[in-house]
Amino acid sequence: MNETAGYYSKHSIMEDFLYEVVEITQAIWDGVLFGSTYALIGIGFTLIFGAMGKLNMAYAGAAIAGAYVGLAVSMVFDAPIIFVFAVSALVSTFMGYIVYQTCFRFIPTHNHLAALMASVGGLFLIDEVIVLATRGSPMNFPGLFEDAYFEIGPFGIRGDLIFVFFIGLVSTVVLLYVLFKTRLGMATRAVAQQEVAAQLCGINIHHTNSITFSIAGLLGGIAGAMTAAAVGVLSPVVILPLTIKGLIVTVIGGLGSIPGAIIAGLFVGGFENFFLYVRGIDERDMYVVALLFIFLVFRPNGLFSKTINRD
Amino acid sequence: MDFYLNLINTIGIHTMLGLSAYLLLQTGQLSLAQAGFFAVGSYTAAILTVIFQWNILPAVLAAMLLSGCLAFLVGFPALRVKGLMLVVATIAFSEFVRMFFYNLKWRVSREGEEIGPDGTMGFAEIRYFSDNGWSNLEVTLFLWTFVIIVMGIVWWSDNSRSGAVLRAVGQDELAASSVGINLTVIKVSAMTAGGFIAGLSGGLYAHQVTSLDHHSFTVLLGTFAIAYPILGGLSNVFGTLVAVIFIQGLLVEGLRFLGDWRMILFGLLIVLAMNFKPRGLFDQQTIGIIKRLIKV
Repeated sequence: MNETAGYYSKHSIMEDFLYEVVEITQAIWDGVLFGSTYALIGIGFTLIFGAMGKLNMAYAGAAIAGAYVGLAVSMVFDAPIIFVFAVSALVSTFMGYIVYQTCFRFIPTHNHLAALMASVGGLFLIDEVIVLATRGSPMNFPGLFEDAYFEIGPFGIRGDLIFVFFIGLVSTVVLLYVLFKTRLGMATRAVAQQEVAAQLCGINIHHTNSITFSIAGLLGGIAGAMTAAAVGVLSPVVILPLTIKGLIVTVIGGLGSIPGAIIAGLFVGGFENFFLYVRGIDERDMYVVALLFIFLVFRPNGLFSKTINRD
Repeated sequence: MDFYLNLINTIGIHTMLGLSAYLLLQTGQLSLAQAGFFAVGSYTAAILTVIFQWNILPAVLAAMLLSGCLAFLVGFPALRVKGLMLVVATIAFSEFVRMFFYNLKWRVSREGEEIGPDGTMGFAEIRYFSDNGWSNLEVTLFLWTFVIIVMGIVWWSDNSRSGAVLRAVGQDELAASSVGINLTVIKVSAMTAGGFIAGLSGGLYAHQVTSLDHHSFTVLLGTFAIAYPILGGLSNVFGTLVAVIFIQGLLVEGLRFLGDWRMILFGLLIVLAMNFKPRGLFDQQTIGIIKRLIKV
């Protein structure tokens, strides 16, 4: 005991300060890695906004629902974890398509309120089905590389977060390839830029938009599965915070801008984790909201303006 | 009997909440901030009656004023952003207010027991009505007096020049500003008026339920607030009332036998309603049909 007392009294203020710096850097780093999931959700929102000028409030719901189905399938078939992720992503893709057909397709283009309300209704629906199916109790979600933990000096790097970040990176690269190097992507960008002209060129609006929603759904499913994998637990209560954070990321990045969503997602992830470390979980989200307000006052168009149609 | 009075109270409060969103929705601005103003009104009125031992009427009116002023302050920066960004901004605002009250701890000792908002534990013991011997019927009448007054004011606004101005801004901002309407003034006014009404209904809500928990003030409440006018149609005050009765009656009483499936049906109903009647249940067309039926 005396030894311990002697040990701590020998530590200088400098060492305590360095310890804090390391801890804060660690928190920010972990947050940025986790922020890749926010980036994916942000990209999904921004894709739909770019294509239709509307927000899909049911988006995060579809993403988490996909994760649940993936989990259910894995419980029935005892399949490898990658399979769970793949199923989640595919189911969310399908749900994205369904959401488009039920909430956006038949509502007149100029009527933003009705489409928004319909997607809110869809959100309620998805949320309640999940709650009913799982009886409200959270469920464990498998993650890959959970035991992997590297140390570089005083910093620790979680293997599972690296994996999450990597998947996010791959998804984004594939998306950008599809968007800018394929005809489908060109059609999507054409509809986003000017709907009438796109139709005049022979592009079927409804077909293109449903594909956009499906792609967004795919990204959402990946994000949902990655979020669940990183946290380790899946519960319907994450849907609303995920929606809100996704919206904040989209707005900060600039509505309609994919690079904006990516940067904003990573930034919000790091920012959030920093305040989690410094102020605790009760106040953490208040700072994220405050960040949004600062952006809205000083830079209402976000980091980048609508660039989804820029080559 | 008490159960039905409770239901009537809930309908009254939600009608006021819906009407608070109604005015701003007419100008075409989709704001989910009503939950935030509602929360501010609730906590303010409750703090005034519980900690400062005010009478209910000045407490509720003070809550109304505070919410209105907050709406005014929020309106200026918020209405600078367009369309869907306003949705996000107001969602964020409501969440911020909710988290603020989640962390609020203001305990006061009175007559041996502790009262006041207790941070994460919520705000219980808002016992003004029971402490002062109000019967349930008196509470309902008190509440609904305010509801009728608010409905009357909004009805008057709809049928006067202010209603026309609001609708003009909602339909076409460019045309409205070309005839000399100051868009910012109108939008901020609509937001302030909405704030007043939301604060009033919040103050009444706090005393009706006697205990406040941050779970009641989430974005869900904000979406309910805009759901009522959108479902009811933005051209008529009674549309909102009918929507409230329909939804609350449906959720609470009508489909009680469906148990947990109610919320699923609710979500489904909204999706269907928006697909078939995007302008609301009581849009211009429907009202025209009803008027013709009445004449015949």
